[in-house]
Amino acid sequence: MDTDAMTLAPALEMTGIGKRFPGVVALEDVGLRLEPGRVHALMGENGAGKSTLIKILAGVYLPDEGTIRIGGEEVALQSPRDALARGVKVVFQEIALIDEFTVAENLFLGEYPVGPGGSIRWRQIEDEARALFDRVGFAVDPRAKVRDLPVSQQQMVEIARALAKDARIVVMDEPSSSLTPAEVEQLFAVIRRLTGLGIAVLYVSHKLDEIFAIADTVTVLRDGRHVSTKPKAEHTEDSLIHDMIGRKIEALYPRTRGHVPGEIMLSVEDLETATGLRDIAFTARAGEVVGFFGLMGAGRTELAKAIVGFDRIRAGRIEIDGTPLSPHDTATGVRLGIGLLSEDRKREGLMLDLEVTANASLASLPKWAKGPFIDGRRERAAVQDYVDRFRIRTPGLDQPIKLLSGGNQQKVLVSRWLLKGLKVIVVDEPTRGIDVGAKAEIFALIDQLASQGLAVVMMTSEMPELLGLSDRIMVMAGGRITAELDAATATQEEILNAAIL
Amino acid sequence: MKRLNHMLFGGVAALALTAGLAVAETPERIGYIVNYATHEWYQNVIKGMQDRADELGIQLEVRDANLDVARQIAAAEDFMAQGVDVLIITPVNEEGVVQLLRRAGEEGLPVVLEGNPVRGMTTMVAICDYDTGYHAGVAAGAHAMEHLGGEARVMNVGLPLLSATVLRSMGFMDGLQTVIPDAVMVHDLDGGGNPDRSLEVSAAALAQNAEINIIYGINDSSAQGGLQAWKASGRDQDNLLVVGTGGEGLAFINAMETEPAWRIEAAMFPEKVGFTTLDAAVALFNGEDLPEHIVSPTAPMVGDEWQQFYSVEGDVRTINWDNVNQLEAPAACMMTAADL
Amino acid sequence: MSDTSVAAPARATGLAANGQLILLGLLVLLVIGFSLGSAQFFSAENLVAILRQCALVLIVAAGMTLLLISAEVDLSVGASLAFSGCVAMDVTNKTGNFALGAAAGIAFGGLVGVFNGVVVTRLRVNSLIATIATLMILQGGVYLYTREAVQNRHQLPSFTTLSTGYVGPVPIPVILATIVCILAWIVLSRTVAGRSIYAVGANATAARLAGLRPERLRFTLFVLTGLLTGLAGLILASLMNAGQPTAGRGFELTVVAAVILGGTSLSGGRGTILGTILGVLVLKVIDNGIIILRWNQDLQMVVPGVVIILATWLDQVRRRGDGH
Repeated sequence: MDTDAMTLAPALEMTGIGKRFPGVVALEDVGLRLEPGRVHALMGENGAGKSTLIKILAGVYLPDEGTIRIGGEEVALQSPRDALARGVKVVFQEIALIDEFTVAENLFLGEYPVGPGGSIRWRQIEDEARALFDRVGFAVDPRAKVRDLPVSQQQMVEIARALAKDARIVVMDEPSSSLTPAEVEQLFAVIRRLTGLGIAVLYVSHKLDEIFAIADTVTVLRDGRHVSTKPKAEHTEDSLIHDMIGRKIEALYPRTRGHVPGEIMLSVEDLETATGLRDIAFTARAGEVVGFFGLMGAGRTELAKAIVGFDRIRAGRIEIDGTPLSPHDTATGVRLGIGLLSEDRKREGLMLDLEVTANASLASLPKWAKGPFIDGRRERAAVQDYVDRFRIRTPGLDQPIKLLSGGNQQKVLVSRWLLKGLKVIVVDEPTRGIDVGAKAEIFALIDQLASQGLAVVMMTSEMPELLGLSDRIMVMAGGRITAELDAATATQEEILNAAIL
Repeated sequence: MKRLNHMLFGGVAALALTAGLAVAETPERIGYIVNYATHEWYQNVIKGMQDRADELGIQLEVRDANLDVARQIAAAEDFMAQGVDVLIITPVNEEGVVQLLRRAGEEGLPVVLEGNPVRGMTTMVAICDYDTGYHAGVAAGAHAMEHLGGEARVMNVGLPLLSATVLRSMGFMDGLQTVIPDAVMVHDLDGGGNPDRSLEVSAAALAQNAEINIIYGINDSSAQGGLQAWKASGRDQDNLLVVGTGGEGLAFINAMETEPAWRIEAAMFPEKVGFTTLDAAVALFNGEDLPEHIVSPTAPMVGDEWQQFYSVEGDVRTINWDNVNQLEAPAACMMTAADL
Repeated sequence: MSDTSVAAPARATGLAANGQLILLGLLVLLVIGFSLGSAQFFSAENLVAILRQCALVLIVAAGMTLLLISAEVDLSVGASLAFSGCVAMDVTNKTGNFALGAAAGIAFGGLVGVFNGVVVTRLRVNSLIATIATLMILQGGVYLYTREAVQNRHQLPSFTTLSTGYVGPVPIPVILATIVCILAWIVLSRTVAGRSIYAVGANATAARLAGLRPERLRFTLFVLTGLLTGLAGLILASLMNAGQPTAGRGFELTVVAAVILGGTSLSGGRGTILGTILGVLVLKVIDNGIIILRWNQDLQMVVPGVVIILATWLDQVRRRGDGH
């Protein structure tokens, strides 16, 4: 790195950036300034313009107006190749590696060193990969096939690929979305190593705790406009949220429900499954939130799928409000009143092409039936009621649900269960991929569910969520429950200790 | 002795076909590799061949290539290894069989082909497609002069994909025009040789050409499809003539019995093809001098003439050898695929 | 994360309607073009001929539409069509009773559907593969059943009336197809079952989690498609006046092509009966027009192929135009 340039000019300076899409102003007069060796966080809700800005920086989109300077020199980034040549490396959220290739092959994809006669120098590729990993501090075997690596390590490879050529600016778009807490720590170590090399890092996220842990400066966008750029030290959680959503959130974890739970709605005994669950036993009462915490692979999602009848069980007994879940299938489960709000909305919850109404009424179709027919008027009225009550932002009930934001999609899915009327709702990672503003609403919703007398079983890997929402905490590790704690007295340390048993 | 008896008994027609057969010995075993035994046509070919073999006291073995050259070659090699006296083949395609002919030549095994010519062959038995259509056309002309006021406007439910079926249609029109020079083909269709497809394309053509009064089908399915389209359009059969081709199953007999318009069938007598082929095999075994192409006879059957050649009981039809064997085959075809 | 997901107007139903408008326009253009090319195209006789052909395809295509919306497919319908026609004719011959023969033909189709349904939903064989296998089994099996066309020996007038008869000016097969389509339309657009079909096709896991039984539903749809194929086979046998084992070759492709042309998605969750009706009409009008105009009949394969690619491409362009 050129030390003189570092001190003289910012690594990147974007000024007056504007970008319009048909019918939408994605960015208007946005500026961004990155300093070498510093971590700059870019925050904002979905639709704030973060992605558009990154894509302009990556050379994917051309801005309609504004200038970009890299190292003080004005540049036009016409294509991703251009951006790469200028030392801008973007690590996108989706992992785009070839599963069947080795780590080293992926790293140098498309630019393999070639020997005489056109043969690829595999040995050289491997050596260079190893050298690169040493430089950034990764412990990944360059000869491993990508498909054999855990997602977190794939992410590391993705980052390393961005660094394979000399980088001056590294952009990371939601890099921690599929990482465990320990892996996030590792990621931060890598970022620190990058800044130590004088590289400017743009860290895009909406996880507040991460921002406070790693960023030096924070820029917030809202509705395509620049809201604030401040050193981290001048922000509090509240002020950041305020900047992002444009209003103050009263309380992230509201509590309207009482403290005395009711009857046992769900009881699970001696549960064992082919997916690795062993000796699972617990109960959940009406009006309480039972939070399940565990690291990746602890068995939370497996447990959620087993108790609603989706996954088969090998042994054990599940009762919903005193009635055994038998036969063990979802049709019976739903009839008895247990339902799952899946962690994977797109694959297991939403019917993306279908409209809001169809998505919302899916579990309650028999309710709207008149003989074999659907009473469309009553159905729509009921759905409209929830759209209003949950303030679901949609232009209408006929809007395809894929056009709604993640938070609004999640609210539709919660409506699906409320329209059916449940006794037990199992929520698996209820706020994954959801904006801060919408998160608070989801938390409020979960609280409301409990206060309406549902038993809520919540699976989460988010410690704040777990502590903020639960009445009782169950910690899982290796497919077993390793601790049961009272949320009022439980400490993070206690929980983590039980989770890594 | 018994064998000799058989020969004397059934040999009359064979004598007419291949002079001098009576002197000879008969081969003991003949192998036949059919290309597609599922098809009705070949069922009947095998039937005729078997009839003749039984008569001559020859052991006939049949293998099915099922449209697969590799299977055809394998079956031929099997037969050679077993030491059959003569090999009869209906070629799946040219490439595979050329090679087989060379092998058989090296081993001195006589080979008779049925149906399709192949480079380097010495003996083939087949019908003449053009002649079949031609004679049916002449018969159709006579019918049209008598019943259709001398008018002949033809819808050809054809199959342009195959030269054999193209020859039939050409022959039909040429024969028809010898009687009615003004005869025209008003619509030349591709019915795919399938009954339902033929029906579909015929329905459209009939809607366009109200003046059609003769439907010619290159096989019975095609003629059937054309006729059913005619009926579905609500027309009556008073001024219509339907001519089918092949006569390999019961369909045409049923049609000639129940459909007033189906008056002529260009019959190809597949049983006779089998019969002729077996005789050719025996003659070849005896080292006789045979023409390269031995023609198996065909003939138009008008009205209830079919009863002279076939009798039907339930779902089984039986060929009347006495009458079929009296049919004369030309020495050569008027036109073949090579002339197209 | 999509920055452009701000506001797009509600067009879920409009979307489908747009695609159908394109097809309708295409159909009108074709009809005008063919009529200009040859006056006979627009004759009553030809329109009846076209409708009768459409009816046969449409009866099966209605079932196929439901099946495709649920994200399954049945390629055995052509072979089943031929086989059930043979069964219908044979049983009518043997019993001398049209109702028994018809019931046997339709029931045979239904049994094929049961077989497909079991293989796909119980043995979990991909439906494309499973039904190609069924197609092969049926194509070979029909020859074991009958070597040649099953002739009409009963000569019952009702048997032929089924295909060539009229009620008023409308051919009976067209009436049957209309009834089937209206029922299918009602099921899809008005009933719990219809909504479940869309749901299962759009996201089977979500549907199952919501308490639906995707496998049971799909099984039912296989049987339904089978029964409709049996009905079509019966009509074809009546039209051919014989049970033809060689019939129905390529029929499955025509049916699937028409359904897809009508805007039904191969991946499930999307499709309408109206679209299917238009798809069938477009394909059959092209088929007929090429003969009426005396064009080379090889175009009967080429043109529909081109039309399907064009229509699907246009559909995608339109969807992209909507921003997603």
